[in-house]
Amino acid sequence: MRRITARTAALTAAAALTLSACGGGGGSEEPAAVATTPSGPVTLSFTFWGNDDRAARYAEAIELFNEQFPDITVQSNFAAFADYWPARTTEAAGRALPDVMQFDLSYLREFSENGQLLDLAPYVENETIDLSGYDGTLLESGVLEDKTVGIPTSTNTLAMFTNPNVIEAAGASFPDDAEYTWEDYNGFIADVSGSGAASAEGQAFYGSGDYTGTFWFFIQWLLQKGVTPFNEDGTLGFEEADVLEFLDLTADLRADSQLYPTARGVSLLPKGGFTVNEVASEMSWDNFLAQYTADSGTENLEMQQLPSIEPGEKALFYKPSMLLSAGANTEHPVEAALLINFLLTDPEVGRIFGTSKGVPADEEQRAAVETTEGSVDAKVIAYEEEVAELVTESTPIPVKGFGTIEAKWRTLAEELGYGNLDPQQFATEWFAEADLAIS
Amino acid sequence: MTLTAEATRTRGAQPSSAALRRRRSSREALAGYAFLTPWLLGFLLLTAGPMAYSLYLAFTDYNLFAPPEFTGLENFRRLFSDPNYLQAWKVTGIYVLVGTPVKLIASLLVAMLLNNSFRAKGFYRSAFYLPSLVGASVSIAIVWKAMFIDNGVVDRTQQLLGFEAGGWVGDPGRTVPMLILLTVWQFGAPMVIFLAGLKQIPTELYEAASVDGAGAFRKFARITLPMLSPVLFFNLLLETIHAFQIFASAFIISNGTGGPARSTLFYTFYLYIRGFQDFQMGYASAMAWVLVLVVGAISLVLFKTQNRWVHYSGESK
Repeated sequence: MRRITARTAALTAAAALTLSACGGGGGSEEPAAVATTPSGPVTLSFTFWGNDDRAARYAEAIELFNEQFPDITVQSNFAAFADYWPARTTEAAGRALPDVMQFDLSYLREFSENGQLLDLAPYVENETIDLSGYDGTLLESGVLEDKTVGIPTSTNTLAMFTNPNVIEAAGASFPDDAEYTWEDYNGFIADVSGSGAASAEGQAFYGSGDYTGTFWFFIQWLLQKGVTPFNEDGTLGFEEADVLEFLDLTADLRADSQLYPTARGVSLLPKGGFTVNEVASEMSWDNFLAQYTADSGTENLEMQQLPSIEPGEKALFYKPSMLLSAGANTEHPVEAALLINFLLTDPEVGRIFGTSKGVPADEEQRAAVETTEGSVDAKVIAYEEEVAELVTESTPIPVKGFGTIEAKWRTLAEELGYGNLDPQQFATEWFAEADLAIS
Repeated sequence: MTLTAEATRTRGAQPSSAALRRRRSSREALAGYAFLTPWLLGFLLLTAGPMAYSLYLAFTDYNLFAPPEFTGLENFRRLFSDPNYLQAWKVTGIYVLVGTPVKLIASLLVAMLLNNSFRAKGFYRSAFYLPSLVGASVSIAIVWKAMFIDNGVVDRTQQLLGFEAGGWVGDPGRTVPMLILLTVWQFGAPMVIFLAGLKQIPTELYEAASVDGAGAFRKFARITLPMLSPVLFFNLLLETIHAFQIFASAFIISNGTGGPARSTLFYTFYLYIRGFQDFQMGYASAMAWVLVLVVGAISLVLFKTQNRWVHYSGESK
């Protein structure tokens, strides 16, 4: 009896080990910590969010960097946007941020307020980072509390992407994009969704997903309405009535099931209805064209202007994107500044990335982007040139906790799509969350 | 056996030899602790220390950057007015209450099948255990998602059988069943334990029951279940605790959101979102401690009830 029990015990212990091993796997990878460098050659850690395509471009850029600076080894590491921030916060808590990293405006304030990011101003002043090709107002977005904690690589502005194949199959036509309003756009959505056209696999075509589900579109709409989304003191500039009015834009389409079904959209993640060629139009940042083209396999995607409240009054803004920052804990600030300078201003790097990170902010990099007729880069640059005069608003500087409230908006919108919530509940829950996140 | 004999001898021995023995045993104890040191260090530094710290954090507002700020019971007060928190309990509760029994029944059935003698049973045992080895991995969750997506294998089979079309991944009503199926499929660990338990049941009992004319069901209910109850108890406890910890599969299948419509917002997942996406470490710590207390209480209740239904064959009354 005893012998067998011992065997059982051993077995159970083994099983328990397996079980606890199962419990441990969190899923997100832990990037390498800052390297301890020997004297002489220096190793810099560098992280960014993105996909394989971006990683390949960075690898090419870093190779060029090494031709100039053979003594600086760059260890790069990347993750998807959502996984990127948990990793950075954990590192920040242990004061072990990478030497150089890609940064987003929505998280900049949180990290900067707690002294996690290196002030790059001295290196800009001594021209280690040469920003002569930059528009001065753009740089302000990376200056918080008089410290230059991030420098944008590029700018984005919102655009409307359309898929002519779907529109044609539905027998619809896109409204005149210079003059159309949100109501006109809703009419277009209803035309496509109501056409009964479907893909070869039998999936019905839709005009659009529920665009009220994206927080940035709400911000854009507020600007068109003349409301400043975020105040200087870090509070919200809008109220519940604004949220309700915005959600009401698509109320009829929601009621008539003329928006791309949420369930289908969710099951396609990380792709979406637009990138599987079942949706005729989608708004997004203008640098998404490269990704959209790659994911959908559709070469003739088009870029249009956004709809507006009053015809023609687009109230667009530039969002500085892909900021580069250095961790305050870096042991090699000079080398970090050299790398940042190279990535931001080297013309060859501009050619390598094209518009995949947005339209380059640096003049020389912008000029170096190859714009073959009809190419993705040419379309994006043409769009930014077309709307340049319509960019009348300054960048809304996100409040602290922006990442959280943006994500909350998305979750609630999903519930709205499933019919689990009504707009009033949406607004109440969102403001409850926002109060906590911002304070 | 030897231990008891030794103890008896000690009691009757001379004081001098008792002192000698004490000295020797204290030296042995010292050596024992010395050997334990690596584990003890790991336990104190990596488990007990962080746990104590998280208990402190549960009473603070801490965003990972700035030093924690003491807020008393505020986090706990907030918990019970947070609709997401209640939702997290709801889906976790369903998952534990449905998933654990189904998994245990499935693993017991398979263990009983494999307990029969037939050809190549070693192969079958390994084959049935295999899903548990790979099941916790990220890749299986991805495969699972692909199977249950619109137009995936499951959707097509459904359509062939005349059910309504539609994947499970985007349907908030079917994501938890999908994850329960995933955990049930990984029945290997409890199965192996059940199998070991089944092997322990003396065959004489069955033979005697057969002589008395007991049928298969009666033998199962009167012999197998009572004899297996210690193992059943062990599995129940372990699987229940394990079910509370569901994270990776939900994280992958919902693309890190807990969606669709919060239907996969399991407790530990929500804790992770609060801690590492919203940077509300104090709040997340409070959540962790409530979970520890609840799981602890459930384990305690299970232990308390065990003398009503768990039969240890060594006991004699």
